[in-house]
Order: sequence, then C-alpha cells, then structure tokens
Amino acid sequence: MMKKLIRNPLSLFGFALLIFFIIIALLAPVIAPTPERHKHEPYRIPRYGWQTTPTPPSKEHPFGLTQGQYDIFYGVVWGTRTAFFVGLVVVGSSCVIGVVVGAASAYIGGRTDEIIMRIVDVFLSFPFLIAAVVITCVLGKGLDKIMIAMVCFWWMNYARLLRGNILQVKEEEFVLAARAAGVSHIKIIIRHILPNTIFPVLISASMDLGSVVVTAAGLSFLGLGAPEGYADWGQMISFSRNWLLGAPGEPLKYWYTVIYPGAAIVLFVLAWNLIGDALRDILDPKIQA
Amino acid sequence: MLSYIGRRLLFLPLVLFGVTLFIFIAMSFLSPYQLVSSYIKSPDELKNQSLDDLVKKYRLDDPAHIKYFRWLGNILHGNLGYSRSANMHVMDAIKARFPATLELTIFAIIPVVLGGIWLGSISAIHHNSPVDHATRVFAIIGWSLPSFVFGIVLLMYFYGVLGWFPPGRLSTWADMIVLSEGFIRYTGMNTLDAILNREWAVFWDAIRHLIAPTISLSYLWWAFILRITRSSMLDVLNKDYVRTARAKGLPENIVIKRHVRRNAMIPVATVAGFMVLGMLGGLTITETVFDYKGLGLLTATAAQQLDYTCVLGTTMFYGVILVVSNLVVDILYALIDPRVRLD
Repeated sequence: MMKKLIRNPLSLFGFALLIFFIIIALLAPVIAPTPERHKHEPYRIPRYGWQTTPTPPSKEHPFGLTQGQYDIFYGVVWGTRTAFFVGLVVVGSSCVIGVVVGAASAYIGGRTDEIIMRIVDVFLSFPFLIAAVVITCVLGKGLDKIMIAMVCFWWMNYARLLRGNILQVKEEEFVLAARAAGVSHIKIIIRHILPNTIFPVLISASMDLGSVVVTAAGLSFLGLGAPEGYADWGQMISFSRNWLLGAPGEPLKYWYTVIYPGAAIVLFVLAWNLIGDALRDILDPKIQA
Repeated sequence: MLSYIGRRLLFLPLVLFGVTLFIFIAMSFLSPYQLVSSYIKSPDELKNQSLDDLVKKYRLDDPAHIKYFRWLGNILHGNLGYSRSANMHVMDAIKARFPATLELTIFAIIPVVLGGIWLGSISAIHHNSPVDHATRVFAIIGWSLPSFVFGIVLLMYFYGVLGWFPPGRLSTWADMIVLSEGFIRYTGMNTLDAILNREWAVFWDAIRHLIAPTISLSYLWWAFILRITRSSMLDVLNKDYVRTARAKGLPENIVIKRHVRRNAMIPVATVAGFMVLGMLGGLTITETVFDYKGLGLLTATAAQQLDYTCVLGTTMFYGVILVVSNLVVDILYALIDPRVRLD
C-alpha cells in the first residue's frame, strides 16, 4: 500500500507537504525564536506595539503584524505545533474511546450492543459543529475545552466501523478456537480480534486529521478558542475579518492578515486530504476492478 | 416495509429522549446562578431581589429529575427561555432566523449537487487520465479550503474590490421595503417573499447577497459529491449491461447518459439528502463569515456571549429537526430503492 501511495504523484506531494510541516513544527524555536521577555510562554505571539491597525510586512516581520501588532510569522510557525497537537490529541482520544466502545458493543452483542448503538445514534443526531459549540459554551472558552468538545462527538464513527469489522470476524474459527482453549475475553479481544480489525479504523482516523484541525480552527474563528494572542491559526484568521475591506482606494491593503495564516491552514489540510484521497482510492473495492 | 417503518418510528421517541437528556446534562454543568440569567430580562429586576431569591423563585435548586421534567414541560409548550444576546424569546428568534438558513441551504444545494455530479462524471469517464487528475485536484483543493478562509478571500475581492456581493441578507433600502407594512412575509425567505410581493428589485438584492455564500459552500462540497459520483460511475462502467450497450453500437454519449449516469445516481441521491440535513446544521461558520443572519449565526453569537439559554435552545431545535428529517429521508429511500431495506 505504501508503494502505491508513493507512486501516486498527488499523495507524494501530500507527503512532502506533511514532512515540511513536521519540520516547521519541530524547528519552531529555531525558525521563529521566542523573544527574551516571555521565554517561558513560547505559544504567546509577541506584540510589537498596541495599535489596532495591522502593519505591512517588513524585514523584521516578514509576514507583517496583524491587529494588535501580533507578529504573523511567529504565529504561523508556532501555530503549526498547535495544529499538530490539537489534531493528534483529538483523533487519538476519539480513536481510543471508539475502539473501546465498538469492541465492547460487538463482542458482548445482544441487548448491550443494541443499547450502545442507540446511544451512538443519539450522539450522531446532533450536527457536529453545533454540539461542539454547546460543550465549549458550557465548559467555558479555551483550546482544551474545544478539544474535549470535539472528542465527545468524534468517536462514534470509529466505534461503528470497528463494530462492523468485529461482527464479521467474531464467529471465525480462530476466535472460536481461542475461546474453546479457555483464553480470557479481554485477551481474545486484544490478541486475536483487534489485530485483525483495527487497521481500517486507524486509516480512517489518520484521514480525519485534516478535518479535525479545520474544525478546531473554525471553533477558534468563532471566538471559542484560546485566549487572544495564542499561536493559533483560526484565531489569526478571525482577526483578519475586521480588515477585509482595506482602506479607501486600497481595497486589498491588509491582504497579509488573511493570506499567510490562511495559506498555512489550507496547505496543512491539503496535505492530509491528498494522502487521504489516494488512500480511499486504493481501498475502494469498487474501483479495484 | 411496514415493519421497517414501524421499527424506525418506535425508536423515534427514544432518540428524542436521548437528545433532551444530552442537553439537560450539558445544562447541569452550569450553576443555578448561571441558569437564572435566562429569566432576567432587564437589570431592573435585580433591584428588589437578590440572585438567591431569583434562584428560589424559579426553583433552580430543585433535584435534577424534578427540574428535568419541568424543563421538558416548558419545551413541549414551546418555551425555550429568553435569549440575552438576541433580546427576544429563543423560540421567536428561531422562527425569525430559520427561514434564512433554509433559504441559503436550498440555494446552495443546486450548484453543489449539479456541479459535483458534472465533475464526478468527467473524472470517471476520463479515469486515470490528466483530466481525471486535474478535476480531482481542483476538488480536493476546495475540500481543503476552510470556509472561513475562502469566505474572507471571496469577500475581500468580490465585495472589497468589485463591490458585487455584499455580506448580510439584504441592503438597507431593501430591508426597509421588506420591513414596511405593504410587504407581506409569507415564508420569511427573502427571495420567495419578494416574488410573491412582486418586488423585483428586492428579489435581485436578495440573490446578490446569496451568491458569495453559495460559491463558498459549493466549492467546499464539490469534492464530496465528485468522489461518490466518480466511484459509483466507475462501478457502473464495468457492468455487463454497459458493455452490451456499447457492443450494440450505441454512441458513447448515449451510453453514458442513459445507462451509466442514471444508475450511478442512486448513491449520490442518498448522500445529497443527508447533505441537506448536514448543511442545515453546519452553516454556522459560513453564516458568521458572510454576516448572514440565519440560525447558525444566532447560535455562534450566543456562544460568544455565553448566552446558554439560546445555545441550548437552538441545539434542541436542531436535534429534533435532524432526528425527524433523518427518519423521513431514510423511509423515503427505503421506498425508492428496495435494496436499502436489507440493512
């Protein structure tokens, strides 16, 4: 599968982009050094003044300063770390919950399965974004609250997927043999069932990373995310909303406030989507023929 | 068939119960003092009584199960509380805002579905050729453009530079006409009401405001429809009856039109139905970017101002609408396509 992915020029480009972002995230302290005055808070974007009007790109600030004189370059670079962090934590935790719920539901079966699946239905009956807004609103604003809210409403698809796979494998001979040999249920699930069923879940989870990051940035954009000044792409874009009209006679005067953070998030998501699209093609049984 | 519908209908109250339970649990994270804010309409009410009096007065310190049933009773009477951010009852705010969201959804769904199907068929017919790759790259870029980035760029250019598609729902002069006494609001949807009132200038103004959000939504969703159309068309293209049609000498474009595209449309129709539902609930960000005063913007504004009553009220509304319409869509598909019933 890896070979097919690398042979496809689109997914290869996706991988290249992804590696680029990983390097930026790892080398953030080198690319955009934190100023001495808040060494202990690297995720706070340094400010160079207090005026509201953005300042255009210059030698010291290659991407310019956005509203409140926050350095855009610094924010974009350190925002890469935030994006990876949010994406990995949300997808990872949802995956764990989904796997536990899905495995329990399918393995126990019967009435328990029916009840769990109806609970999943309830979770699925809310529009995801609205549900996330509700939880963030009730818990209070903040990046951590956004992540909790997203995990609460993201695990269901993994649970369903894993359940479907386990139902197919559950009655196979190797499982029955293990059971006949007196292996404990937990051990059967972990040793025999999961290795044969978890792969599609992991793939689907990795393909979701892009959308998770967009959604989190969207919630930040709505003003429910990190406090002002935190290195976060969504928030930087929400700043630019106030400047989309430019100045009289110069309608595109403040282009840099949206283009740089916007390009960062678009390319980041594009990387994941290119890989995901190629993966779906490889795995789509309909196209195999 | 009847047993399928019956089973689905039996689950309806259960799922609805789950929806109310979720909102109630979310509410129980709030202290009585936070909750009492939804009962206070003006600061004057606090002059003669303390917050504790109000908490007692509205019995917000009762045990959970009593509160739940009282709250449920209120909802069944259409009372969702008072919204601070919208300055009116949540139910009235929903009534005023929902037609706007519905209007945008109806407008957006046409280019989304037609454009997506068109791109998908091109992609499938030219499978693995440069045309296929180009179409898909175009669509994937759209799928990767968050609506808050693309929307702002659209506004910057089409509003800032060209002045074509302003944000909002109507220009001020059109708003005056709509709010005037002679204008009858039949549906709350500006375009439809303008036609019914024969106010053509208002109609064009409403269209002008709908174009930018529609472009933004279409480009976002094309990749989705493209993928499903492409995959199901490739599937059909390999079928025996398509080979037969070609073998008997039918021109290629008739084979595609009559035999391939029609059969490939079934999964697309299924997805399109659910997409309408998804859009109804997912327009929050698009509406915020374009300052389009629909239900999504109502929820977003309320959330920013921590107006719990309004957020929970609109969510209740979304939940009920989605559960019921999901059911209707499912049953309709089961009626149309007998294969659906098997699962």
